[in-house]
Amino acid sequence: MNRTALLAALWGCTGMGAIACELPGDGHRLSSRDGAVVLSFRPDPGGFAVDRQFSLIVHACSRTPVTTLSVDAHMPEHRHAMNYKASVTPTAPGVWRADGLLLHMPGKWEFIFAARIDGVTERLTHVVRVQ
Amino acid sequence: MNAVAFRLTAVTAALSGLLSVVAPAHGADTGGTLLEFSEVERAMILSHGPWPPPLKPDPSNRVSGNAEAAALGQRLFFDARLSADGRVACVSCHAPPALFADRRKTSTGLSAVDRNAPSLVNARFSRWFGWDGGSDSLWAHSLRPLTDPREHGITLDTLAALLAADPELACRYSKVFGRSAASVSVDTAAADAAKALAAFQETLVSIPTRFDAFRSALARGESAATASYPANAQRGLRLFVGKGNCGTCHVGPLFSNREFADTGIPFFLGPGKVDPGRHGGINRVTRDPFNQLGAYNDDPVRAPGTATRHVDLQQKNFGEWKVPSLRNVALTAPYMHNGSIATLREVVRHYSELDEERLHTDGEKILKPLRLTDGEISDVVAFLETLSSPPPGLMIEMLPTARAREPCVEAAPSRARGR
Repeated sequence: MNRTALLAALWGCTGMGAIACELPGDGHRLSSRDGAVVLSFRPDPGGFAVDRQFSLIVHACSRTPVTTLSVDAHMPEHRHAMNYKASVTPTAPGVWRADGLLLHMPGKWEFIFAARIDGVTERLTHVVRVQ
Repeated sequence: MNAVAFRLTAVTAALSGLLSVVAPAHGADTGGTLLEFSEVERAMILSHGPWPPPLKPDPSNRVSGNAEAAALGQRLFFDARLSADGRVACVSCHAPPALFADRRKTSTGLSAVDRNAPSLVNARFSRWFGWDGGSDSLWAHSLRPLTDPREHGITLDTLAALLAADPELACRYSKVFGRSAASVSVDTAAADAAKALAAFQETLVSIPTRFDAFRSALARGESAATASYPANAQRGLRLFVGKGNCGTCHVGPLFSNREFADTGIPFFLGPGKVDPGRHGGINRVTRDPFNQLGAYNDDPVRAPGTATRHVDLQQKNFGEWKVPSLRNVALTAPYMHNGSIATLREVVRHYSELDEERLHTDGEKILKPLRLTDGEISDVVAFLETLSSPPPGLMIEMLPTARAREPCVEAAPSRARGR
């Protein structure tokens, strides 16, 4: 199954109703604490590697549309971010492309997604270990 | 132009001499056994190869990989007419016997500069060029010293005029670019000259080293071949990928993440004067009309401009310098952006006894004093010495020396893409 109606299931569990939104089945998934927004993202080209420019394709499902999305990454153990500021552009409803990312050291990186929804910024994080 | 008649034998002889100087210090420890490297260590070791990486042409330079362009570039590289006083050529600070560096602490063109001349060997694999990364392509970086009043001190008009007026250069320019330098704008002619200089410098690729042979044997599981790698170098390699944490910045086949770091080297030049390092480099490259976002990038979609478009100027960039490749590091003393450390052993000792007070308080929390013993320092140095390419040092078949030496014969304009 390439696509999963993840949010439909999530919202069903919380009794908040159904969501007419699907997330790709092949990405990393993360959810805001209250379940207001769920993201799926994958690198393009695939896989994470040190010293390689890449993009992220981000899909979002939420109660009301995410109006803006920003993407950043940092190494919490090293106390530094990337040397680059990603540019994020919507490519379809609920889909964004973040360009210009580069992880310049091996180790633990935390991606930070800030999604603006209903006038509130939801901050979602996801950790990857890059060799 | 007698400088063009430079022979690679000079490089070979010079490298032989250097290797004979560095080899005896640890040459006695000839190995015979292979250390028990862990899976993690093996993975890290294997990540430093294979060498060389694929030699892809630079899409921003339409004459990248073009032998005629490299020959023109070689001519220009050795031509002292590209200076205000007629005495300074690129080769003045990037001399073949010194692995295209100059072995000086800081270099002198028309007058003294503040930085050490880096080797141009393997420069083609960089993302950013210069100690501060003030250029985003090898060709754009080739213009920078030409117009710096302390280095070559010429204007782009002077460069363009020379390309148009000198019969040999004009002939070669016409063959490479399919037009005369006089028929295009000064900036276009200068960018073309820079692209030819870059085509020449792209040929400066080092050959595989003793470490590469070890790594390849390790990858193939050839125990006899791996065991012939000196024991002290094996111990040094283990420190490099382990306790030393050197692989945090010195990653991959190039032994560099091609980015920038503050390593506690002072950047004060004198009272009230600092060298801003990467901070200045970002300001420079983002404003450079010859950068990858500008009109002289030959790639229609400006793909090589992604890094320049997204580079993020931060306060921490003050005092950051390019992480240099460690390939041939034993042959390119002195070290650091200002040549302030004379020997490789002292460089390793610098990291062993690092003065954390000199690091940015708001910067990265990566470097800590390694507290290596003298024996461990010797082992790391022994490992680093195995990153030196044996004579002849460079992938000589790529150098267009003979082609550059032969007089240019006028030909019908080629079909090189025009601007």
